[in-house]
Amino acid sequence: MLYRIRHTTEYVYASRVSHCYNMAHVTPRTSRRQQCLSSRVDVLPTANFSSQRTDYFGNQAYHFEIQKPHKKLVITSTSDVRTESQAYAPDLDLGISCRDARLAMQSSRDPEVLLAREFLMDSAMIKSAPELADFARDLFTDDKPLLSAVMELTRRIFTDFEYSPASTTIATPLQEVMANRKGVCQDFAHLQIAILRSLGFAARYVSGYLETLPPPGQEKLVGADATHAWLSVYVPGEGWFEYDPTNNCMAHEQHIITAWGRDFYDVTPLCGVIYGGGQNPVLRVAVDVTRMG
Amino acid sequence: MSSTDFPTDADDQPGLIYQANPQLHDEAVDSNGALRPHWASLLERMRELGPDAFADREAKALRILRDDGATYNIYSDPTSPTRIWNMDLVPHVIGSNEWLQIESGLQERAELLNLLLRDIYGERTLIQKGIIPPEAIFGHRGFLRPCHGIQLPGEHDLIVHSVDLVRDHEGNIVVLGDRTQNPSGAGYALENRNVMSRVFPSLFRDSEVHRLSTFFQRLRSKLNSLAEQSNPRVAVLTPGAHNETYFEHAYLANYLGYHLVQSDDLVVRNGFLWMKSLDGLSRVDVLLRRVDDWFCDPVELRGDSRLGVASLLDVVRAGNLVIANPLGSGILENPVLLRYLPDISRHFLGRELRLPSVQTWWCGDDDDRQYVIEHLAELVIKPTYRSTESSSVYGPSQSEQELQQLAERIQANPAGFVAQAIVEASHVPTWVDGELKPRPTILRSFAVANATSYSVMPGGLTRIGLQERDFMISNQTGSKSKDTWVIASEPEVDVLEEQVDDVVSREADLISLPSRVVENLFWMGRYAERAEASLRILRTAFMMLNGEERISEATQHQLLHSVSMITATPSRPTDDQTAEDALRGIIENGAVMSSISGNLNAMLFCANETKELLSSDTFRVINDIRDALTTLDTTFSGSLASAPEEALDPLVTALMALSGLTQESMMRGFGWRFMDMGRRLERGYQTSIAVTSLLVPVMNETDQSKVCEALLLSMESLISYRRRYRARVGVTPTLDLVMMDSSNPRSLAYQLEQLANHMRALPKTPTQYRELPLEERRVLECETILKLTTLAELSHVEEGDIQRQTLDQQVGKLAELITGLSDLITDKYFDHREASQQLVRNNWEAF
Repeated sequence: MLYRIRHTTEYVYASRVSHCYNMAHVTPRTSRRQQCLSSRVDVLPTANFSSQRTDYFGNQAYHFEIQKPHKKLVITSTSDVRTESQAYAPDLDLGISCRDARLAMQSSRDPEVLLAREFLMDSAMIKSAPELADFARDLFTDDKPLLSAVMELTRRIFTDFEYSPASTTIATPLQEVMANRKGVCQDFAHLQIAILRSLGFAARYVSGYLETLPPPGQEKLVGADATHAWLSVYVPGEGWFEYDPTNNCMAHEQHIITAWGRDFYDVTPLCGVIYGGGQNPVLRVAVDVTRMG
Repeated sequence: MSSTDFPTDADDQPGLIYQANPQLHDEAVDSNGALRPHWASLLERMRELGPDAFADREAKALRILRDDGATYNIYSDPTSPTRIWNMDLVPHVIGSNEWLQIESGLQERAELLNLLLRDIYGERTLIQKGIIPPEAIFGHRGFLRPCHGIQLPGEHDLIVHSVDLVRDHEGNIVVLGDRTQNPSGAGYALENRNVMSRVFPSLFRDSEVHRLSTFFQRLRSKLNSLAEQSNPRVAVLTPGAHNETYFEHAYLANYLGYHLVQSDDLVVRNGFLWMKSLDGLSRVDVLLRRVDDWFCDPVELRGDSRLGVASLLDVVRAGNLVIANPLGSGILENPVLLRYLPDISRHFLGRELRLPSVQTWWCGDDDDRQYVIEHLAELVIKPTYRSTESSSVYGPSQSEQELQQLAERIQANPAGFVAQAIVEASHVPTWVDGELKPRPTILRSFAVANATSYSVMPGGLTRIGLQERDFMISNQTGSKSKDTWVIASEPEVDVLEEQVDDVVSREADLISLPSRVVENLFWMGRYAERAEASLRILRTAFMMLNGEERISEATQHQLLHSVSMITATPSRPTDDQTAEDALRGIIENGAVMSSISGNLNAMLFCANETKELLSSDTFRVINDIRDALTTLDTTFSGSLASAPEEALDPLVTALMALSGLTQESMMRGFGWRFMDMGRRLERGYQTSIAVTSLLVPVMNETDQSKVCEALLLSMESLISYRRRYRARVGVTPTLDLVMMDSSNPRSLAYQLEQLANHMRALPKTPTQYRELPLEERRVLECETILKLTTLAELSHVEEGDIQRQTLDQQVGKLAELITGLSDLITDKYFDHREASQQLVRNNWEAF
């Protein structure tokens, strides 16, 4: 599928910002099932200096510096991306078993597995815990294929948790999400990663967009799309597979990847340091995913 | 083995005879009890010297350290965090052959760690080949992912490498750990050498000791070579004056001829790093970093850091700045790597390391952990990440219960701990309470990269334990240090530098001081002057109260008012109190003294912030002020001493000496100008307060004369007055002398004249119009008010007036203008940028 994505982030500050330094993860990366054909980032007020680089995880990081006083910052990323479905057997009952996967993670000398162990460890926002493993231990029985066990976990999170945009912030700890059984896509992705890691599997956080289709016969609204988050699990010898607990599915063509990392912290869409600005800036994000063919 | 008496033919001279402990390896004495050859002559000379002369040398050394401002800040002691650097005068001597072996081992190790560093931030083949477990790198907070892919120009990424070495009981040198972030100690080693060569000049000269200066020349050449341009600006980045090794930062910056800068002195603009100076921004090409890497960039590293520079890493990535050691090099301090270093060495070098590390187990490895848990009581347990909250645990000194808790902590987070074998460090003769005693020793070595390999400092920083069997040797626990003497076997060769380039860069650098430094000089001037004004009026009040002539209640009241205005200590006598009682009250309850010591402490703070610009002489005076300050509180607590004004004299004298020194020995650059502007502004302001508080009220003739005398006395103008007027002291001539007379360096007119001169000399932004800048107009306004007012108007009193209205108004106006002038200057020349904040509050502790 070919998409044009327009992602606008706008900050309106309570008082003047004299200058600022920012880093953004807003340009779609390239992956096995995705190719970014073209992209540009526009910043208002105009940046004095900017640079684009491929970061540690292979994501596109955009740095910019504004030296002009401003009360409003607008950053718009426009990209054309071609996506494909994941290359997996429609029948998840094939492939390596949970037991073999766990053993391979511990003792394989395969360089790919050794590098994947980075995503098995605790990260800034995700800490393994026995309670988290308990939540899904029954699904990951020794002989079950790992891919289908992960799908069952995806379904359990989808069923047991309520999608509730008002209930969480960026900083909602996992224990709270577990206790309230409420959250948004980011919380569900973090939760599933935490559970997988607690059970001995490597998993990473994926940020991106999801194409939404308007109800039949209706025009699609501008800005109706949103940023989305899901996760990817590592299957030794087979590679990474993406699951979306918010929508109870595996990621497909309509899941467009921006960036991945150990958790949200590694792929924060826009962060940085501002001078001045007062308290409580107003943040507005608008995303349009348009199908080009 | 037998106990060793130093062969002595002078039994009548006790002390300074070294007796080694035969159970441990001793640096000076061999296992047969004989002195090692390279120690023999040194100990002989020390013995000849005798304990009393040695104690004299020690006093001299302490004086030198004090005058140089050599301090070390102890975090755990809030009452007296700043200590004089602790030094032992018996050097640690290393023979030249042995040093050659150590040196080549250190070079090899530095090369290996350099390869390791490049691999960690590059291909990570060591992980992919299973030579290092992934968790050892990925799970360590020193691994900074944003630094991936950054390489320095040249062969080496690891620029400065430092190692802690000990010799075990068998006499083998063992590495305890590596320092690769911002190794400290080289500057202290240099200061130790400086002290030794001055305290024992002939002994030092005769001993043929390898010089240290070559190492620092090499460090300079290396840092200069890191930038693309031929004449780069290099700066030393310090966290600030509160840092434990701030002395060393200032000392090194001075010695190497670099600027000492802090976070606020720097700014990123258009992809380059700049230093903010009075005449604008000056580009910085190379940073010698003394801030931990994690704190260096709030955009990509620790978001709440105030010690770094926003976007610094992106400047590095763009190739517009080189930082030494590079950000991310802290990962090499992970002690887990010691466990795998032999494998890493075989992989990269194809051989075993010449200098082995202390045996290390990593609890993240199952077999290792099992061993560690079973042998906790025989090991040292260390966290893999050094921080202030976590420290090493010495197994043998733990109780059963403590060991149990330790085991639980390890089991909860095995990858976070290593264990190391206990090494009983060799002994070295040390001066303790008038005798030479054996003390355990540890040597920190330093190596700097050169074009092809590493140059090792001949010697290093020797530290010694406080007790004979001390295990923990750390400056934070108050241990002492020694100069380290590597005996030269052949004459040394100097490293030649491009001298011409140096001269050019120095001159440019004189102009562009960081504006923070200039601001501190400005405030140093203001605080010094403010403290002096307070001391002077206080001294005057004492002299008048204790004088043979009894002064009236009204005069006392006026003096009280003036003291309270000038020292900013509110006070009014209560109904049952005389003015004198009230005055004594605010002095005895410490209010006035705390105002004075507050100002002096602020001045000392500013002096510390500008440490690299102040001479040794200046430091001596500053030390005198600090000493006088500590006695001030005790002198004035309780009842007043009989002649308390004398107690204030040393402080007044020291402050005068300070102002004299700055006048006579400071370069007439911007630094000096701003310091003097600070003085002039403050003196102008204090003079107007003194005039208003003493001369505005109308009094009877006798009292009026007394009050005028007080004013003149406090402004050191009484003698001039008498010489000039030879008459009873009156209001008009007093005002003439303290306000109008520009030949009196304490008069208001003089301060304004000097201020106007300074302002004309300051750098200006070119504009198309010829109008005067605001601050110059303000000074002109002050001068004009003063010049257009007559003395008759100022001293004029209408029948029945209780105040001199015009004097009050005009001087009040001047005080207000002068205050505003100070604000104008600070706003215009000093950077008071708005506080920064994170766009997205991100307080997650990243791994």
